[in-house]
Amino acid sequence: MRRASWIAVLLAGLSWAAPVPFAAAGETIGIVRNSTGKASITRDSQAFPAPAGTKLFAGDTLSTGPDGSMGAILRDNSTISLGPSSTLVIGDFLFAPAEGKLRLLVRISRGTMSYLSGLIGKFAPESARFETPVASIGIRGTRFAVKVDE
Amino acid sequence: MSSRLAACLAALLLIAACATAKPTSAPPASGRSRDLVVLLPDEHGKTGAILVSGAGGERLLTKPREAVEVAGDAPPGDPFSMPEREVIALVGPALKALPKPPAQFILYFRHNSAELTDASRAQLPSVYRTIRERAPVDISVVGHTDTVGERQYNHRLSLQRARAVAALLAAKGVEPSILDVTSHGKDNPLIPTGDQVPEPRNRRVEVTVR
Repeated sequence: MRRASWIAVLLAGLSWAAPVPFAAAGETIGIVRNSTGKASITRDSQAFPAPAGTKLFAGDTLSTGPDGSMGAILRDNSTISLGPSSTLVIGDFLFAPAEGKLRLLVRISRGTMSYLSGLIGKFAPESARFETPVASIGIRGTRFAVKVDE
Repeated sequence: MSSRLAACLAALLLIAACATAKPTSAPPASGRSRDLVVLLPDEHGKTGAILVSGAGGERLLTKPREAVEVAGDAPPGDPFSMPEREVIALVGPALKALPKPPAQFILYFRHNSAELTDASRAQLPSVYRTIRERAPVDISVVGHTDTVGERQYNHRLSLQRARAVAALLAAKGVEPSILDVTSHGKDNPLIPTGDQVPEPRNRRVEVTVR
């Protein structure tokens, strides 16, 4: 079994209302809705606590300690959560339906997660992928009704 | 001439559990590191489908609580049905942490105008209330038009509508930085119609509170 290394939360005393301490490139891709126990985000190699309201950016690593859990909603209305002692990276997230750009890549390296698909799963299920160290999971089986006007 | 696509998704819930726990109903598997994936129905009881791939093989899961184990050095095992109590034992805390899906409001506008209909104006207090109750939140405000008029004109009109709603929210104290304001013009009608068709239900702004 891979030995999971828990990233120490260095900024535990920081008020969550303070601005996110690190400049993040790109757009907000979602928001932490709930967290319990040790729950943190690592961005640009720096870890900080992730209470409800924390904004998420592509590339963020979400981690929980043995007593922790975390739940988030992404901009495509999908929901994702981590159980205790878990780590996952939102490696890629693109939600620009007007430009037809939809992409989601999540890598979970330890622990447990659950996911409920949103608009990316609806419009472009083949563009969503989840990876564990040994498996890859894709969304299939979307039901379609097609009507073509004459 | 237009073609349109009405998509209806059986939403899905999936869990990847990098297995330290050993489900008793799983067929015996060799190898040290085994990951487990189980497909679950959504809150409306609908089950989607997922394709699980491992070394040299893949499995399609389509049934509620259908699960598969994947070891690093072998194709995925045979899918099996996982009893609900084992699902809870294995991934209960993650499931409990899964947030409620976002709340969505559709506000309608007068013809060729960025002014809300009276009925939608009356709905605003419940939008504010939801934002307050769910705070802290992330909000999308997306403007739309019906298909009457030019594409570019409608894009501008739908942006004006979205900005009008954003201004109302900001006036109620919603921090502008949590508002994502975009416009889809006539490209994304709620009610599919041909081009140049007046349709009040398409003159709208969709507010999603996450």
